[in-house]
Amino acid sequence: MGLRMGKSETTSHHFGGWGDKAAARTAFSVSTICILIMGFILYFLVKESLPVLKATTLSELLFGMDWYPQETPPALGMFPLIASSLAVTFLSSAIGLPVSIVIAVFTAEIAPRRLRSLVKPLLELLGFLPSIVFGFLGMVVVAPWLQARFNLLTGLNMANASALLGMMMVPIVGSLADEALCAVPRELRDASYALGATRWETIRRVVLPSALPGVLSASLLGVMRATGETMVMLMAAGGAAVIPQSLFDPVRPLTSTIAAEMGETPVGSEHYHALFFAGLILLLITLAINLLSAKIEAKGLKTKGGNL
Amino acid sequence: MDKTESDLDLPQVRTQNLDLYYGADRVLRSLNFDIPRGCVAAFIGPSGCGKSSYLRCLNRMNDFISGARVEGRVLIDGEDIYASGVDVIALRRRVGMVFQKPNPFPMSIYENVAYGPRLFGVKDRETLDETVRSSLEGAALWNEVKDKLNTPGTGLSGGQQQRLCIARAIATEPEVLLMDEPTSALDPLSTSRIEELIRDLKSRFTVAIVTHNMQQAARISDYTAFFLLGELVEYGTTSQIFTVPVDKRTEDYITGRFG
Ligand SMILES: Nc1ncnc2c1ncn2[C@@H]1O[C@H](COP(=O)(O)OP(=O)(O)O)[C@@H](O)[C@H]1O
Ligand SMILES: [Mg+2]
Repeated sequence: MGLRMGKSETTSHHFGGWGDKAAARTAFSVSTICILIMGFILYFLVKESLPVLKATTLSELLFGMDWYPQETPPALGMFPLIASSLAVTFLSSAIGLPVSIVIAVFTAEIAPRRLRSLVKPLLELLGFLPSIVFGFLGMVVVAPWLQARFNLLTGLNMANASALLGMMMVPIVGSLADEALCAVPRELRDASYALGATRWETIRRVVLPSALPGVLSASLLGVMRATGETMVMLMAAGGAAVIPQSLFDPVRPLTSTIAAEMGETPVGSEHYHALFFAGLILLLITLAINLLSAKIEAKGLKTKGGNL
Repeated sequence: MDKTESDLDLPQVRTQNLDLYYGADRVLRSLNFDIPRGCVAAFIGPSGCGKSSYLRCLNRMNDFISGARVEGRVLIDGEDIYASGVDVIALRRRVGMVFQKPNPFPMSIYENVAYGPRLFGVKDRETLDETVRSSLEGAALWNEVKDKLNTPGTGLSGGQQQRLCIARAIATEPEVLLMDEPTSALDPLSTSRIEELIRDLKSRFTVAIVTHNMQQAARISDYTAFFLLGELVEYGTTSQIFTVPVDKRTEDYITGRFG
């Protein structure tokens, strides 16, 4: 969308108001379509997930400890799945975000221009790797290493999946945070240096705080990516529907549960509807993160307001 | 020049055979002049003649420009600031700077002013409070902001922002204050407030100010330097430069501007 609008704006130089109108119209129709699609997905998810409440209660769904959906009658407690999703999201963020931010500070502030122009494209390239590659990495490299190193029954567990997800965050979060840091105006850095600050003091006290809204929304994007990631979870998380007690317990997040079980369940069964309900929970989690990020961005604009 | 020289008993800023290169470009050419203590020295000249570059030589901000190279000497209080082993951080504390565009940090008014003192390790709340108050008073901003010290500095008007930047610069108690066209982005009223302020400031600081506005130079400065293409064409007391310029080019520039 951004690209298309950019193009329209350049044409507007040649054709007077036409470009502006086209841009506005494009923006309007694209966002209308987005909202329609979003609404359709939400409607569909709700419609397909609601029937599950005939078989069980909402609190049993959300807080039930047992997930045995194939038995009769099925046990549809999703708490272990939700807990797994949240735990993996949290752990992978704890690994991935600090690394991303350190890398962003390095590329934006410390690396000489040449090195930056080498590192950034590499970082972005890493972002294009399909997640199945990371999944393979988890199965073939990380899992055996973890198993041998910590003497575990299986190397396919929460630590493994979280490390991989953390790695997958780095390209997106790193390059977006890098851009947020680079967008901090030269004048602010100059003011800091002119007051006798060192480069590090300037980064810590002026550049990072100024870029904070951008860095935070980059981070939330990374977090969302981790919450929604399926392939790596499927391949490297181990898949046990229990609440993880240690870093090395296998876990079964919502995403991989849906992916693994959807194909094997009869359409219209309670299990089928329960999986849709899991999807609805995922959507709500990402929506919440999205709203949070929008809020942070708005706040950032407000504090910067006077200067822009 | 002669007349000026006799006034100087202990010049605060002495510029001796100063050359500045950006790569192969020689931007400043053998500058030689002294700025006396407690005076306002104004720098005028067409844009691109090296006024900003000269100012940035005085607090070594040109160090950040790759390819920038200085020859000659700048003595501040008798100390060569380009000698090896000079503490650039300490120098920048002694030589404060106010920029063309107001550039408050995106933090509270209080934190903007406390930024410099905090860098130098002042932690005591009372000392900081006192520094913030006296600096804001010094910048003639205290009365307007004393009830909202914790609101963002970026929320102030342009003229207030620039005075905040002045307060921030004087909070480190510099001896010399550099100002690069500090009023060029401001409305006339804010401009006259800042001009008034500069006249007060010189009792405590030596002020070196670049200005595009000839009348401003005439109003606020004691000495005026006219730059052209990196050369110092003429330097003298402001009244001499504006009434009986020695160099024809100075006269042309000054009169040309006002018809
Ligand atoms: N960072 C820089 N790198 C290279 N050349 C520069 C840089 N900054 C300024 N210059 C050049 O130095 C000359 C003097 O510029 P400047 O000091 O900004 O002039 P003034 O402040 O009098 O308008 C100009 O020719 C300008 O193009
Ligand atoms: Mg300039």
